[in-house]
Amino acid sequence: MSSDQNLQAVVKSEWIKFRSVRSSVMGVSVFFVLTLGLGGLISWAVRSHWSQTSYADKVVFDPVSTSLAGILFAQFAVGVIGVLFITSEYSSGSIRTTLAAVPNRIRLVSAKLIVLLLSIIVVSEIVCFATFLLGQAVFKGVVPTASLGTADVLRSVLLAGLYLTLLTVLGFSLGLIVRQSAACISIFVSVLLILPIIFVFLPTSWQNSYEKYFPSELGRSMMSPFPSAHHLGAWNATVVLLIYTAVVFGAGLTLMRRRDA
Amino acid sequence: MLKIDHLTKRYDETIAVNDLDFEVKPGVVTGFLGPNGSGKSTTMRIILGLDHPTKGDVTIDGKKYENLKSPLHEVGALLDAKAVHPGRTARNHLRALAASNRIKPSRVDEVLEFTGIASVANKKVGGFSLGMSQRLGIAAALLGDPQVLLFDEPVNGLDPEGIRWIREFFRSLAKEGRTVFVSSHLMSEMALTADQIIVIGRGKLITQGSVDDLTATVQGTVLVRASNLTTLTKALLAKKATVQSTSDTTISVSGLASDDVGQIAFNAGVVIHELTPQRASLEEVFMELTADSLEYGASMPGDVSHE
Repeated sequence: MSSDQNLQAVVKSEWIKFRSVRSSVMGVSVFFVLTLGLGGLISWAVRSHWSQTSYADKVVFDPVSTSLAGILFAQFAVGVIGVLFITSEYSSGSIRTTLAAVPNRIRLVSAKLIVLLLSIIVVSEIVCFATFLLGQAVFKGVVPTASLGTADVLRSVLLAGLYLTLLTVLGFSLGLIVRQSAACISIFVSVLLILPIIFVFLPTSWQNSYEKYFPSELGRSMMSPFPSAHHLGAWNATVVLLIYTAVVFGAGLTLMRRRDA
Repeated sequence: MLKIDHLTKRYDETIAVNDLDFEVKPGVVTGFLGPNGSGKSTTMRIILGLDHPTKGDVTIDGKKYENLKSPLHEVGALLDAKAVHPGRTARNHLRALAASNRIKPSRVDEVLEFTGIASVANKKVGGFSLGMSQRLGIAAALLGDPQVLLFDEPVNGLDPEGIRWIREFFRSLAKEGRTVFVSSHLMSEMALTADQIIVIGRGKLITQGSVDDLTATVQGTVLVRASNLTTLTKALLAKKATVQSTSDTTISVSGLASDDVGQIAFNAGVVIHELTPQRASLEEVFMELTADSLEYGASMPGDVSHE
């Protein structure tokens, strides 16, 4: 047959699937609204209280992280998009139809990964630059602002988008392993949110040595223009998060190949 | 042609498919019969590469499913009609499937039209009745115009008109030289639909053959109500039929078709009030065959395959 299946065809198919369900469209919308809305709101709050802000706080004020603060909430929205992109196939049973059409599982997972990566990185970068610019516009005239002309600032905003994209892939990879939406989202939220809270109760030396490796703290390092104490540098943090993502994705892909659908 | 080659599938302690071995030939409708839980769906899933066999193989024209170059062009399948993302429209579901196998988008409209669901193509699948979902599943199976078609319990949820439509449809597919493999737990349904029948129970092959072969072995019983049963019984016994009295006014005849019983009665001058071929006996034989295998299985959980 002249029309043999290839990766491009499966990417096209997965793109149609990604666009045609409400969970992705809603997820992306929530992501937009949360990041821009909260980023703008927090920036406005900082501006309106600037005159009462102590000198010590003013010295450590970071206009970049503050304008990107909405990401701390939005990261859950993108994670859920990644999780549902695969778990909804299992909960609805449509994975069987999908695999009958695309029996090559590596090809299927690759196509899904490509669709997810491309769409989320575009959306994430747009959102991150938009919320950064929104924050600086709010600060202007009152609070010190940052400029994209500064290399570290540009890097922070770019890596903020990459952080969100990698979290999406992490969610997707967890989905490949766990297959159940609710369980998967719980794990995702636990790792991002609960793990750091648990560490609050542990000895400070532990916090200082291990906390920097938590995904949420890696994200903080990535999107901050200055290195923080007991944190990895931005690029090291990026590499560590890439390794996490690659390992979980690798495990997901291996299980996907071996297990019955 | 579909070849099931000494297929075994074990899940932990239970054995779902046990050394199953048969071929499904093109040009005829082949029925795949067995009670619920006999391994039909597992076999179907293995054919499609969804589940990995513990032992044995399935090949489609000599190739494994996962090695098909363009799967939907070669095999079309309807496994579970409800296995569709409920939030997606019927058209988008088919568009995505078509794209994955490089099938032109216009084909989506063709199959929607053919299966009679074009009017609901832009509705979300979650709101579909089982019958509509079955039609959507059939539309998906036809997308690539494949030579091999698999249907798992396709008449479930269809109304009588839909059932008639699907029977005709299977026949026409077979007439075009395609391989049509249809599972069901209803012998009566398969008797009307299939040419060849494969019966399994507890994951094992029980019997296979043409519908004529199978019915010949069982279609001996004809219920007769007549004016003079004694005369008729004598005439029937003379023709080597087996006659059983079922009530004061009826007898059950085996070994003869209803036409012959009628002719014999006419020749003997007996007035017939009722002459009913006992279709149920077909069902009974099926039940008997499969009940044996169920009993066998129940007494020996974790039955080990022949190694």
